[in-house]
Amino acid sequence: MKMANATATIVRRNRPGTKSKDWCSWQDESFEEMDSTLAVQQFIQQAIRKDVSKVEEILTPPEGQDEGVWKYEHLRQFCMELNGLAVKLQASSECNPDTCTQMTATEQWIFLCAAHKTPKECPAIDYTRHTLDGAACLLNSNKYFPSRVSIKESSVAKLGSVCRRVYRIFSHAYFHHRALFDEYENETHLCRRFTLFVTKYNLMPRDNLIVPILGDQQAAEGESEA
Amino acid sequence: MIEDGSGSQHGGQLGPGSGGLGMVTKQQQDDVGQRPQYSMPGILHFLQTEWARFEMERSQWEVERAELQARIAFLQGERKGQENLKQDLVRRIKMLEFALKQERAKYHKLKYGTDLNPEDLKPPVFDKKDVLRVRMKPPPLKKKTAAERSRQRWETIKADEDRYESQKLKDRERNQRTVSYLYQMRRQRDLNNRTFSPEEPSPVTLFRVRTETDDQVDGEQALTSAANSNAQWRQGRQLLRQYLQEIGYTDTIIDVRSARVRSLLGLQPMAGDAENENQPALVNGEQQPGKRDVQGKSDENEDGMAADDESDERLERKGVKIKVMGNESMAGEDMMDDPETEEALAEFDFLVSESGEGAGEARSHHSSDWEKKDASSNADWSVDQRHISELKEQYKKERKGKKTRPTRSALQAMLANLGSEDDLPELQTGSSSPPQAGENEELEAGVQGGGGLGFPPGSRKPMLGGSDDEEFDGALGLGELAGLTVTNEADPTTYDISTPKEVFRKTWNAKYTLRSHFDGVRALAFHPVEPVLLTASEDNTLKLWNLQKTVPAKKAASLDVEPVYTFRAHVGPVLSLAVSATGEQCFSGGMDATIRCWNIPNSNIDPYDSFDPSVLQDTLVAHTDAVWGLSIHSSKMHLLSCSSDGTVRLWSPGTKSPLLNTFTVDSETGVPTSVDFVRCDPSQLVASYTSSNTYIFDMETGKEVLTLETRQNCDLSGSNQINRVINHPTMPITITAHEDRHIRFFDNNTGKMIHSMVAHLDSVTSLAVDPNGLYLLSGSHDCSIRLWNLDSKTCVQEITSHRKKFDESIHDVAFHPQKPYIASAGADALAKVFV
Repeated sequence: MKMANATATIVRRNRPGTKSKDWCSWQDESFEEMDSTLAVQQFIQQAIRKDVSKVEEILTPPEGQDEGVWKYEHLRQFCMELNGLAVKLQASSECNPDTCTQMTATEQWIFLCAAHKTPKECPAIDYTRHTLDGAACLLNSNKYFPSRVSIKESSVAKLGSVCRRVYRIFSHAYFHHRALFDEYENETHLCRRFTLFVTKYNLMPRDNLIVPILGDQQAAEGESEA
Repeated sequence: MIEDGSGSQHGGQLGPGSGGLGMVTKQQQDDVGQRPQYSMPGILHFLQTEWARFEMERSQWEVERAELQARIAFLQGERKGQENLKQDLVRRIKMLEFALKQERAKYHKLKYGTDLNPEDLKPPVFDKKDVLRVRMKPPPLKKKTAAERSRQRWETIKADEDRYESQKLKDRERNQRTVSYLYQMRRQRDLNNRTFSPEEPSPVTLFRVRTETDDQVDGEQALTSAANSNAQWRQGRQLLRQYLQEIGYTDTIIDVRSARVRSLLGLQPMAGDAENENQPALVNGEQQPGKRDVQGKSDENEDGMAADDESDERLERKGVKIKVMGNESMAGEDMMDDPETEEALAEFDFLVSESGEGAGEARSHHSSDWEKKDASSNADWSVDQRHISELKEQYKKERKGKKTRPTRSALQAMLANLGSEDDLPELQTGSSSPPQAGENEELEAGVQGGGGLGFPPGSRKPMLGGSDDEEFDGALGLGELAGLTVTNEADPTTYDISTPKEVFRKTWNAKYTLRSHFDGVRALAFHPVEPVLLTASEDNTLKLWNLQKTVPAKKAASLDVEPVYTFRAHVGPVLSLAVSATGEQCFSGGMDATIRCWNIPNSNIDPYDSFDPSVLQDTLVAHTDAVWGLSIHSSKMHLLSCSSDGTVRLWSPGTKSPLLNTFTVDSETGVPTSVDFVRCDPSQLVASYTSSNTYIFDMETGKEVLTLETRQNCDLSGSNQINRVINHPTMPITITAHEDRHIRFFDNNTGKMIHSMVAHLDSVTSLAVDPNGLYLLSGSHDCSIRLWNLDSKTCVQEITSHRKKFDESIHDVAFHPQKPYIASAGADALAKVFV
């Protein structure tokens, strides 16, 4: 069979000893040939590795892909990559409990950390960590997301609130640690991808997207404000 | 009264006996004190009371005996009934398969105008010329006979039982109570005895009994299938029914029975009104469970189910649809068949959902089946055959393990008592070698029962370090086991869920699923003492897990654990991990070429505590490329690392200049893939390379002292890298895991190969040796982990554990240094812990 041949010729593995430049440097596998239950994740990661800046392409699902799973796997990927931003914030010591005592973006709102029994005014760095940890637990919860190949409608609804919360990490970084944010954004295009993602799938209301990163006009506004 | 009887084996000092005994003691006291004053009437009186007492006890025992016999008959009946139910279901499944084949054939014919291979159209059990009629007609007929057969058998059983029960029908309720009390008493006593007497509680006896019943049932089946005329059955049924009514065995009792069977099967009994509305229970006794099951099924659908189960279920439901549609479109007269069909399938669904989590192996089998089916539209039903047999197996297991648990133990207790009075004490005073004590204690932790039914005895040994283990550390092992029991008691959830498996497992079973990573888990390591482990993932984080902090998972055999801490500092995937011997620190190596030294937070920390920068204690920088391997010395605070920059480095973390030494070889040897200390010689280390070479270095001089003949023994030179090298904890042996599916053993002194074996179906990625050095655990990209007996080099158990992501599946395996846990880490972002 076709599949068997493909796997026989190219073995896609990061064996021990793989140099970091060779990490995942194998020939792309077409989505049809991916027979794994994690095909969507593979597909997304493959697209990201190909060119991280082509966010539209990364967000284009393969034909016939179930939208719930597509959204879910993307959100997993976002949360995973946001670890990188969290590490940056944490390691730079720029964002510590003394400097950023609250999770804020603009002056308008203070975000309460939803990871606790009663939402708490956590310092920004804790908010970031707790939100990512909480998202990791929720997105891996056997109760809401028992499967990665089909997702219940009721659970798809949970994705919106995760998006809302993790977006605040972008906005905090943007408004309070701009240099760091820009450095990260240049490497990963993550905020742009995220903004496009939530807009495309209508996961967040537009006026919540306060980081001006999409579209020239918005971006121009952002620049002038900054 | 009777309660006393049960205790009377140990001494009749209770109840009526106390008078007599008291008298004896009094007289003895008199003996000592003053001259005894024996008088003829006094002696006669004493003898009379004694005799009366013995008589009374005797009659009590007799009553008890009869009750227990009745109980046995009852349980046997239940068993038979369940057996029949199962067969019925299997038969229905076959029918459905057949119906689907027919449907396909029809479709094929309509589409291409030709018949399919006529062999496919052969009905499974019966043959009639008219294909359509065969499809439509026989099912109800067959089903009816099956149903009736089971019903009849039921009645037979009940009749048997009545021989005992009819006389006692009036105080039936009291008896029930008594029996359960007896059982409790006995169990209590058994438990007490078992604590001191290590012999396995009569699994052999029970096993024999079981086989006998099996045979019986089989024989009966043969008989019944030979004579499956409908009329005959009806006649027989009528007769039996009459008989039953004569002896006062009413439908109500039968109802109670069937309800009990259903509850034993785990089906949720509904309110009784459904029964009343229906026709006489005897007639539609088979249909009622169906209704319940449909109900239960829809409930389950709303709940979250494991992924694989869901897909399985979907598959099943497809089947239902086809069948049901076929029926409806074909003939109205067959409508009456539908509830039964649905019922059968619903029951089947119940089995699927119940058993889904049962064994990881079977579970992933399902899913792969499902995938296969998905991939090829021409799915072959033979695949499903396997699926069905698996489910049957699971159902059997499930039923044995769960449903009849208390009754079975009761039965066992009774057997021990009734079979031969001598049996029990004999069993309880077996040899007192620690391993068996261990097993018993373990058994106690799970409910005691006919352990290892149908499994080879002693196959569970590796898990508790059976007799071999114990020779090495007898007392210590027992101490750990005691600890295990305590753990179980402390956590009622754990206790409950694990018990059915404890009784029947032969080796390791998946118990905890660690989900929280977003991408493949590359490495894992246990805490040296606590039931705590760490995982390192490609999602750039490490996580700390406390196995005692579980999330109660609904009707799943395995528990979910949520991480208590997430370590963030690596930029890029974390590839390797090592935990210090004190359990206070851990070290992780990443794609970012750094080694991070962490202070492990308390495992009871609030996961959402505030950020503590002191958790990241230090960062070791010297490598210039991904750090793929770490190894820690158990006594010295020394750490070895190997990196794809081609170097192996020795560190002393926590000191001013932590880098102690660097070891390099010719570049043609490739880069190191894995590194370990030579456990027998504290001055040596062993490192394996992508070129499939393995060297032993002297740590002082930094020079190679020996080249193991790893390369010479590889057939496919070049592509056959070594993925993992480990050293035996007590013997001078190096074990290597190869890309060419082999595991090889080498002598550290000569460098010669001791043994080589094809260990997996795909490349071997990881190895771990248990702390006693008796068992080897290996993980492979073939999705399975295998446990090997290091002595015989044979595979003791294989567990399918993880899914594939690209062509990777299992990245790491580990043994807990003290507790009976093993764990695997997978590319599917999960880690699993087995007990």
